[in-house]
Amino acid sequence: MITENKTFLEPKKVYIPLTDNQSKIANVKVNEGDKVITGQVVAEKFNGKVKTPVIATISGEVIGFTEKMDRHGKLVDHVIIENDFKRSTVDLKAFPNEIAPAEIRNRLNILGVKEVSYDGLFTEIDFSNPVEHVIVNAVFNNEPFVSTEYGFVMKYAEEIADGIVLLGKAAYAKTVTIIVDKFMDVEAYEELGKAISDKEIDLKLINTKKIKGWDYKIAQKLVKEPLTNNLLDNGILYTTVDAAKMVHDAIREGMPLTKRQVAITGDSLKSNAIYDVRIGTLFSDLVDDLEGYNESENMNLHIGNYLTGTQLPTDDFAITGSVDSIEVSDFEEEEEDVCIKCGDCNDICPAGILPQNIMDAELRNVNQRIVELNTNECVECGLCTFVCPSKINVLEWVRRAKRRVG
Amino acid sequence: MTFKTKKPSVRFSQQRSYKRQLNLHLAVIIVAIAAIFLKTFIPALSGEETTALAFKVFLMLVTGVVVSLFVEIVYAISEGTVEKFYSYKSYVDPINTGLLIALVLPSVTPIYVLVLAVIIGVFAGKLVYGGYGFYIFNPVLVGVLFAMLSFSTQLVVVGTPLQALKDAMSGVTTQVDLWPLIFGNYEAIAIGSAGVIILLLAFIYLCVTRVIDLRISGVFLVAVAVISFIIGYFNGFALDYILINLITGLTMFGAVFLISESVSSPTSRETKIIYATVVAILTMMVRVLGTYNEGVIFAILFGNMLTPFINRTVKRSNQKTLIKTVIFSVLMVVLVGAVLGLMLNNRIEEANAFIGGILL
Repeated sequence: MITENKTFLEPKKVYIPLTDNQSKIANVKVNEGDKVITGQVVAEKFNGKVKTPVIATISGEVIGFTEKMDRHGKLVDHVIIENDFKRSTVDLKAFPNEIAPAEIRNRLNILGVKEVSYDGLFTEIDFSNPVEHVIVNAVFNNEPFVSTEYGFVMKYAEEIADGIVLLGKAAYAKTVTIIVDKFMDVEAYEELGKAISDKEIDLKLINTKKIKGWDYKIAQKLVKEPLTNNLLDNGILYTTVDAAKMVHDAIREGMPLTKRQVAITGDSLKSNAIYDVRIGTLFSDLVDDLEGYNESENMNLHIGNYLTGTQLPTDDFAITGSVDSIEVSDFEEEEEDVCIKCGDCNDICPAGILPQNIMDAELRNVNQRIVELNTNECVECGLCTFVCPSKINVLEWVRRAKRRVG
Repeated sequence: MTFKTKKPSVRFSQQRSYKRQLNLHLAVIIVAIAAIFLKTFIPALSGEETTALAFKVFLMLVTGVVVSLFVEIVYAISEGTVEKFYSYKSYVDPINTGLLIALVLPSVTPIYVLVLAVIIGVFAGKLVYGGYGFYIFNPVLVGVLFAMLSFSTQLVVVGTPLQALKDAMSGVTTQVDLWPLIFGNYEAIAIGSAGVIILLLAFIYLCVTRVIDLRISGVFLVAVAVISFIIGYFNGFALDYILINLITGLTMFGAVFLISESVSSPTSRETKIIYATVVAILTMMVRVLGTYNEGVIFAILFGNMLTPFINRTVKRSNQKTLIKTVIFSVLMVVLVGAVLGLMLNNRIEEANAFIGGILL
């Protein structure tokens, strides 16, 4: 199956979720029938006192509100905007030269560049807690299978490097690190090297042929303490090169976050593509553009990270800023074997805890043992499930144990 | 369009636990065939009549498999779960257990002893706890230990190298040739233990296919070698002592098939090292001090017994714990080796005087 580059920037309607996983309350600013233009604030969502604007990604008319499943699998309210194809945009100031850190943060907030990378260890671009280290991953969108497109890295190396510097500046970061694959395409590597050579960016090489939670280990070396589920609590902002490019666009060109690159793959689609998509487009529209499904009995739709992403029961959901890849594939359910206590999960766990022992304790309902085993240090990376030779969903057991002891 | 949710898949299909079992299966069958071959072919070259011995060994292996399968299937019928025996997958583990029990017993074993050993091993050692994946003692060793304790007079093998080694400690001079030991042409304590070469090949194959964890089997072999080196060093025949301890008895067979049994052994890397060290120390203790010649069976069962406790001692697995574990294990091995060596040489009082008389 040939993967091609496609664009889908002018949908007829966009559905924009008003809330997300973090911000649960939204304050709507527009009414049905209002005209909106690209970049206009249609709502403000709140996570405690942190206010994030929800931005219209096309110009047109608000034709209503509806309840829909979002990309996390929850039913939330969406605003529906009908496209008028005029492409009128809010006039936003660009900063091609020097810019103050506070101004960067302000611009990023106004332009909605927040929830870009979400799955796994990735954090939102959020400066409400003090950030000491910025880490940018140029290897994976999704460890282990979906890698960053090196054509993208090659084409936008300068922009990416500039975006990384801007992120570091906005956070007053002590260290700025970029993670690069040892076996990366040489041309992309050279371009990236040229771009970051005169900037204060550390380069970390990793060996992608071995999967062992490299990003986690790099982050842990920086902070020298056990990491929590959300790296922002440890003062680390961890994001992808896609986000760095978006930060550059937002600051230097004044572009709000209205489109993003999504890789749509899988055997169950007639063709695969890397899409430039307007945020808010329904996934079913994209599938129609890709000539539909190869229908079969057991089909699975997986969004985001291979190990920690979400699976949805329907294709009727809107692309948001945090969707980086979608896989639709046929699968055969394989039976779970008994645990043979081989200890592979204990060996691979990047946090250094013992998932097999935690699972055992959870099965025997021993709360004290679960606490003793430092279950709260689990970062839910999913590597234990990935390596299990018996196909046991170890992560699910550890999650249960975590919930049990709070 | 509606979609279903699925479980995440594993790394490689070769890593499946069923595939591991199959690899083990293959290795056991090869070793079983090689055991018959090595036991009978080399004596036959020099004109000895070996057909009866070959038939006996073959009969033992077949009996082990048949009885093991019989017990498992009868149990499955009584439980109402006989459907699982419609695929070959469920036959792999019973066949492994039956073959291994037959391989760990000597060739003089009467067939009724073997049948009883398999019934006890499979039923009391495995099925009572819930079958494969749930037992706490290695079912093979449960069966063999039962046979060894209850039918000790029927299972006497005279003239094994380990017996010779024990006699040598009390002053009897014996001569053991190296080549027969390597090719398996000697009175062995078990059918399977004859032929170190084939066991070595199985060891390498199973290490490559990740059935054996080197942190258990490797540490076990190294610890046995170190302890026997120290004992031999104090007694003046270091190299011979290492060689005989490594290539005869159940040492190599245990490292390949018995101690590496993953269900009844601990799970994290630190606990695996501790477990292997404990088993090695106990093996050498029984060999040097005990009334039995062979200590591997007792040692591994004792290690199984300790597994829940060993598992509980390690709470997280990081570099600090690993270094601590390694230092502790090395110290234990060296200390036990020295104490055993001095005891054999009746020099324990001398050593006691050297450290100031606090021991006695």
